[in-house]
Amino acid sequence: MQESAYFDKYNPIGGVWDEMYGADSNVRDHYRKVIEYISRESADDLNKKEELAKRLFMSQGITFTVYNSGEGIEKIFPFDIIPRIITAAEWAFVEKGIKQRLTALNHFLKDIYHNQFIIKDGVVPIDIIYSCPHFLREMYQLQVPYDIYVHISGIDLIRDHDGTFYVLEDNLRTPSGVSYMLENREITKRLFPDLLPQCGVRSVTEYPSILYKNLLALSPRQIANPNIVLLSPGIYNSAYFEHTTLARLMGVELVEGRDLVVNNHKVYMKTTIGLQQVDVIYRRVDDEYLDPLVFNPSSMLGVAGIMGAYRKGNVAIVNAIGNGVADDKAVYTYVPDMIRYYLNEEPILKNVPTYQLGNDDEREHVFKNLNNMVVKRTNGSGGYGMLMGHAASDEEIADYKKEIIKEPRNFIAQPTISLSAAPCYMQGELKPRRIDLRPYALFGPDGIEIVPGGLTRVALKEGSLVVNSSQGGGSKDTWVLA
Amino acid sequence: MLSRVAASLYWQSRYIERSDGMLRMLKINYASSQDAIQEFTWEPVIRIFAGLDDDEGENLGNDSRAVLKYMVMGRNNSNSVLNIITLARENARSVQEHITKDLWQCLNEYYHTVKDSKLERALQREDPISVLDVLIKQVMLYYGTVEITMERGEGRSFMNIGKYLERAIQSVDILDTKFGSISDNPDLLTDTTYWKHLLLSLGGYELYLKTYREGFEAENVLEQVVLNNDFPRSVIYSVNNIQRYFERLQNDSNMDDFRDMTFKIGRLQSRIKYSSVKTIRQEGLHAFLTQIRGELYGIADVLNQHYFANS
Repeated sequence: MQESAYFDKYNPIGGVWDEMYGADSNVRDHYRKVIEYISRESADDLNKKEELAKRLFMSQGITFTVYNSGEGIEKIFPFDIIPRIITAAEWAFVEKGIKQRLTALNHFLKDIYHNQFIIKDGVVPIDIIYSCPHFLREMYQLQVPYDIYVHISGIDLIRDHDGTFYVLEDNLRTPSGVSYMLENREITKRLFPDLLPQCGVRSVTEYPSILYKNLLALSPRQIANPNIVLLSPGIYNSAYFEHTTLARLMGVELVEGRDLVVNNHKVYMKTTIGLQQVDVIYRRVDDEYLDPLVFNPSSMLGVAGIMGAYRKGNVAIVNAIGNGVADDKAVYTYVPDMIRYYLNEEPILKNVPTYQLGNDDEREHVFKNLNNMVVKRTNGSGGYGMLMGHAASDEEIADYKKEIIKEPRNFIAQPTISLSAAPCYMQGELKPRRIDLRPYALFGPDGIEIVPGGLTRVALKEGSLVVNSSQGGGSKDTWVLA
Repeated sequence: MLSRVAASLYWQSRYIERSDGMLRMLKINYASSQDAIQEFTWEPVIRIFAGLDDDEGENLGNDSRAVLKYMVMGRNNSNSVLNIITLARENARSVQEHITKDLWQCLNEYYHTVKDSKLERALQREDPISVLDVLIKQVMLYYGTVEITMERGEGRSFMNIGKYLERAIQSVDILDTKFGSISDNPDLLTDTTYWKHLLLSLGGYELYLKTYREGFEAENVLEQVVLNNDFPRSVIYSVNNIQRYFERLQNDSNMDDFRDMTFKIGRLQSRIKYSSVKTIRQEGLHAFLTQIRGELYGIADVLNQHYFANS
């Protein structure tokens, strides 16, 4: 096989799992066809493809707006043109692992909002649950349709230096990014014509129809055409593009809080012919803002009285309210125990070892080894408020320690996991950059379905381990081979 | 259909139509400024199209490039093409799943074209007509895309009601301003280039030549712009279309609201239909146009209350 200059110059990072190169510096089989294809292209052609990708994102309005001095500036999320490839065997393992984990987490939510056996049996300590800000009393003894809480989830996976998959985070509230899974694939079809079928890449296009089927099944009214809506915070939300894409692909109404009104414990939308009852709400508004009468009273994004309608069973809400207690970073530590407790199985996917800073011994251990640790807030997201021990200055560490001591329950620490690397196209060369993987799982009355693919986020800065888009991360199309 | 969605489609379409009228007006005025021997005045254009919240426009004088910049890219002019296309796009953005993907991309491209800094430079240094043509073409693409891709449903009816309402208001405003100038300067009445430019800016020049053989007469111009059923920018044509697309909403309406609206549109339609140049002259053109404008605003108010849930 003839390899071009791009690959001769490619230097895998030492001690890191490289998705493309094996230990003996040979290209892994599943990357061969892509490499052959790219090798035939000149750097000029690849630059053109990169330009084309940018233009397609821009003209389709797949942008987010940064408001600066009163004027909106349109930006696109960085996209790397080289796909990330997952083999059929790897996928089968991941799929099985996520299904197992999700089943346990859903049992946990049902249990924690009803009988709380897991606390009574001493598997999860009570103070971890009751100190969690996302544990909502309002959900106690509330019946949700089919006992499903986590209809949509995006579990973040990373790979250590030997290629083992670890779960980094369970996102069980309103995980975003699925539109990028869909759009990245559409763009790749344009960038590399005919390559997808040659490689035998599995399709991701089923996602909206599976989601729609699940939403339809949740309708409390047994009628032919229940009203399903997607509740968005509005056009200024950074994920607005995703909301409209999903609404369009499913053919459901996209609504904002001001379009809805509750009367007599039923939710209605205001239309040109008057009020129409709403049956299922796929909401992309956080719990806290959903109902000003129950949660944050200053919220303009939600609907007054919606919680009452939910409690009465007159409307289905997706995902269920109060899921935050299951993806809290302090509760995360106990997920393997939950799997053993509810399913009587050994966990397939590993947890990253996690230290609870609320625990004196563990805190002491972490403080001694801060240089090799990542410290996170238990309720944080988006890569904000993290301390990367290996990169922080002494001063930053000292300040962060003070924060921790004030409220130790709010922090966890994990040893720095090295994250696998994949080739990225940068200014005419291929360079290894760190990646993670977020597959999207849909939990409906028929069980859990995971579309073969997901979002691969990539830390575009050299040496960076943070893949979040808010911290200079980008994304890649994610291929699962048949 | 959600009231908010109906309102957004209606406004999106009003803004696009307004940008179209403005761009054509600017193009013809610029061209005629190149013909003018004495100083060319931009005052009527600014009066018709500039936002009311800003007096920067009044101080531009007759500097064509400055006026063009202000009207097309002016950031402080709430009615500049840039600002209204931004609004049209925000409206479209919040109803993306109700318009086709093609239409969204088309409007999005229009927006990025107006925002392009190269265009601003070209408008200042190069031939402004080429720049205005680029933008006018974007509007034509938009209308073609609506025609070819949009489903013939409630959404399109609201879009068309917005479009024709805006167009009718524009034609009334332009006539009122242009004929108003005559009372200050009676010489214009016999100035053929004055009428020619008015017709060109409304895209009705060719039709006029085919209809009237006796040269440019103020009364003929009035007849064409108010009463000609076949002239796409005439007041009667626009009102007929408001009526036509409103009728289609019958099945998607509350009966009382629908009757109220039908009554208002019907009254306006008859008022124009059973007028002639002679009767308009008798009661006074300004009074007539003021009444028509009032009725058009009345229709917009009823829509707002009954269909867009803004009371």
